[in-house]
Amino acid sequence: MKKEEYKLKKITIGAIISEPGSSIKYKTGSWRSYKPILTEFTPPCTRECPARIKVREYISLIKEKHFEEAYKLLKDKIPFPVTIGRVCHHPCEKKCYRGQFDEPIAINILKRFIADYALKNKKKPSKVEITKKEKIAIIGSGPAGLSAAYKLVKMGYSVTVFEALPVAGGIPRFGIPDYRLPKNVLETEIDDIKSLGVEIKLNTSITDIKHLRKQYEAVFIAVGVQKSRKLNVPGEELDGVICGLEFLKSLNLEKKVSLGKKVIVIGGGNVATDVARSALRLGAETFIVYRRSRKEMPAIKEGVEEAEREGVQIKYLASPKKILGTNKVSGIECVRMKLGEPDESGRKRPIPIEGSEFVIEADTIILAIGEYPDFSFLKGSVKTEKQRIVVDPKSLATDQPGVFAGGDVVTGPATVIEAIAQGTKAAVCIDRYLRGEPMKYGEEALPLIELEKMNLSMVETKSRIKSHSLPVKERMGNFKEVNLGFTEEEALEEAERCLSCGSCKLCKLCSIYCPDNAAKMGETEAEINLDYCKGCGICENECPCGVIIMELEVK
Amino acid sequence: MKSVIEEVELLAPGHRMCAGCGLAISTRLALNVAGINTIVVLPTGCLEVTTTQYPETSWRVPFIHVAFENAAAVASGIDVALEMMGRKGINVLAIGGDGGTFDIGFQALSGMFERGHRVTYICHDNEAYMNTGIQRSSATPYAAWTTTSPYGRYSIGKKKRKKPIGIIAVAHDIPYVATATIAYYEDYQRKVKKALSMDGPAFIHVLVPCPTGWRFPPDKTVEISRLAVETGVFVLWEVEGGRMENLKVTVKPKKRKPVEEYLMPQRRFSHLFKPERRQDVIDKIQRTIDEKCERYGL
Ligand SMILES: Cc1cc2nc3c(=O)[nH]c(=O)nc-3n(C[C@H](O)[C@H](O)[C@H](O)COP(=O)(O)OP(=O)(O)OC[C@H]3O[C@@H](n4cnc5c(N)ncnc54)[C@H](O)[C@@H]3O)c2cc1C
Ligand SMILES: Cc1ncc(C[n+]2csc(CCOP(=O)(O)OP(=O)(O)O)c2C)c(N)n1
Ligand SMILES: [Mg+2]
Repeated sequence: MKKEEYKLKKITIGAIISEPGSSIKYKTGSWRSYKPILTEFTPPCTRECPARIKVREYISLIKEKHFEEAYKLLKDKIPFPVTIGRVCHHPCEKKCYRGQFDEPIAINILKRFIADYALKNKKKPSKVEITKKEKIAIIGSGPAGLSAAYKLVKMGYSVTVFEALPVAGGIPRFGIPDYRLPKNVLETEIDDIKSLGVEIKLNTSITDIKHLRKQYEAVFIAVGVQKSRKLNVPGEELDGVICGLEFLKSLNLEKKVSLGKKVIVIGGGNVATDVARSALRLGAETFIVYRRSRKEMPAIKEGVEEAEREGVQIKYLASPKKILGTNKVSGIECVRMKLGEPDESGRKRPIPIEGSEFVIEADTIILAIGEYPDFSFLKGSVKTEKQRIVVDPKSLATDQPGVFAGGDVVTGPATVIEAIAQGTKAAVCIDRYLRGEPMKYGEEALPLIELEKMNLSMVETKSRIKSHSLPVKERMGNFKEVNLGFTEEEALEEAERCLSCGSCKLCKLCSIYCPDNAAKMGETEAEINLDYCKGCGICENECPCGVIIMELEVK
Repeated sequence: MKSVIEEVELLAPGHRMCAGCGLAISTRLALNVAGINTIVVLPTGCLEVTTTQYPETSWRVPFIHVAFENAAAVASGIDVALEMMGRKGINVLAIGGDGGTFDIGFQALSGMFERGHRVTYICHDNEAYMNTGIQRSSATPYAAWTTTSPYGRYSIGKKKRKKPIGIIAVAHDIPYVATATIAYYEDYQRKVKKALSMDGPAFIHVLVPCPTGWRFPPDKTVEISRLAVETGVFVLWEVEGGRMENLKVTVKPKKRKPVEEYLMPQRRFSHLFKPERRQDVIDKIQRTIDEKCERYGL
């Protein structure tokens, strides 16, 4: 047969014509006894964050390049996303499930990326109308005080913040050095709070809380801990012995401090590393003397690592015995220590080794061995215990009606994010108190997603993206910012690594593996077509986010 | 992870495959790549009876049901007919079960290879004649239970090993042969695409776990498929141009898991663990896999 002939021939066969795909008339959903339910869980990062920041959500917005919205999500929750993106000790990253797979997500650097983006593009917020008649006073303009002010002013309260110093911001403003937190960064965030309508009265130290309480319907105490502890060794009164926080304060506020050639910093916390790294930048040869080992050091790990990289020499297991010198400091005599049984802080107790004394020469000795609060303004009216204000942990209410307290003054020296979390909590409870409602703060939290529920078989390992930092040799003689963060490309790449624990990331795996084509991607999460779902449970078993739960269906 | 399943679904839901059926997943993945310009040739078997319940059909592409033994022959005919009609750009896709491919359809398949037709033949290997009630085939692995390879005092299940159908296909000197399985869907779909682009016969041997016949819960289908690769029970490879020396392993397990992890969840192997553990048999299976993996450089 020729090709042309074949084409002309039309063959008709008498048969029932089945419509293509006509089996859709048959709803196999009726076979099912278990049905898949899309469920949302709390991811470990959010669970671990004192302020319960929605990490997974903002990372997902980064993935979609919705930087503006990611910033809004952060800013709605906390007033200091730009600051926290630089100084947070990021407990979230410790618990990040990706860390058990390969390396944790660089959550804090991503947050900083968003914040930096916003810094370039954001507008000033406009004033909030005062709708509530009660006036609220806040003592202290640190992260705790200002976070409470931020929340309260947005609720429509008239808020006044009293700050003893000529600048607002608390320790992040006068304690944390510029190379970690440039001050213009913090200032824009404080300006935002002022733009909303919060009044900050600088140079106004509160000396009597009872007096203040009479003028305001509620008071929030957020004075932090500011006084430096003494060593109690001979020679402490000599010229050239200074306190760490005082040194940082003069550096940040007056910008001029002279230290001499050789500086010894005593202590192992954040103050010690910040002081030492600052002294180094002022050109001094710098030592840290710490009585325990590196493992017990309370300072943020990055701070210790950077200090060492920059050239700070850390003498572990050494404790000062006496400060040497006649009128002015000439050096310090230390004794070597060994570690014994754990003490009440859970860290191993350092014990001096007899006869192991040695001397280090120094022009300046800076004490950074802890701080304590100044409670003189309380005039005995608010209950305190072991240098902390005593509060009901659920509401942050003190024993005085209408007086609340939070931040370092309640927790002891802690972190910025904890102070922010407490400020936020106090605001909610103050509002409830003023409205005569029960003061209990508790965010509705979904249960934590379990790692075992997430099927990571199809996830490929990929290392965490390293962020940029200023080369060490460019850091000396100046206070230029050290950590430089991510470029947009790097941020997108790193965000892509997020496993989206406990929330559908529209990966389509359920729809790819569904034998019955019953799973489709909706706007925000997968949608299961129950008309056809036979309830096999493959989607539950394969879901990398752990969000599909098979539930017994009683028909 | 990129999406591969498009909006147009060429295998409509409402089919009667068991809950969690691997055949359904594999067919969706393959059709998704082949697209609407495809003629499907389907011999009798589970996939055929469950998608063509009179008077309905689940197929949204031209489809012909053929006898158990002649899928490759009919596909060959379609290829010639298309050529006669001068029609280009139409995929001919034959999808046979392991019974219909390894066993009764084998001579038709071998003939199709020899004649060099432009047909992609996908063998859905669920390792038994499932449609008629789980009878052993030459694809059933050593020691597996089926209704015709029972275990008991004198038997540990199937006594013979599995026929190496992929290698036999390569020996026919055809343009493309590959193995695939549903868990590794990207690998599978890439292979289907490649097969369809060949100017001649292409053969893809796809392992499709069967919850009903292998006796495991229906939510484990993809997991078992993945375990088959992770343990080295099933190696994912491809060969172009009929040259064994061109064999390329396409998915390498990071660290090969012991075969026990694959056997244990399937009750067709339960007699290897209960009432007493048959370490000798498990060891023998493991040895065979080790030897095979060594050959594949795994
Ligand atoms: C050097 C240093 C580095 C640190 N680095 C980090 C870090 O990198 N990351 C991190 O998370 N945490 C860090 N911390 C801890 C963190 O800064 C504190 O936990 C946090 O600032 C506490 O906030 P707060 O609001 O409770 O108090 P503060 O920040 O201490 O603010 C209290 C404010 O109240 C004012 N005030 C006190 N008394 C009165 C009064 N009677 N009347 C009016 N005003 C008053 C003070 O002047 C101050 O401005 C660091 C701490 C120090 C000292
Ligand atoms: C010549 C012939 N013999 C026997 C049968 C009965 N039969 C129908 S399907 C089938 C088994 C199919 O097994 P397989 O090809 O492995 O496909 P599966 O059902 O397992 O997917 C058999 C034996 C038949 N239809 N034709
Ligand atoms: Mg079969």
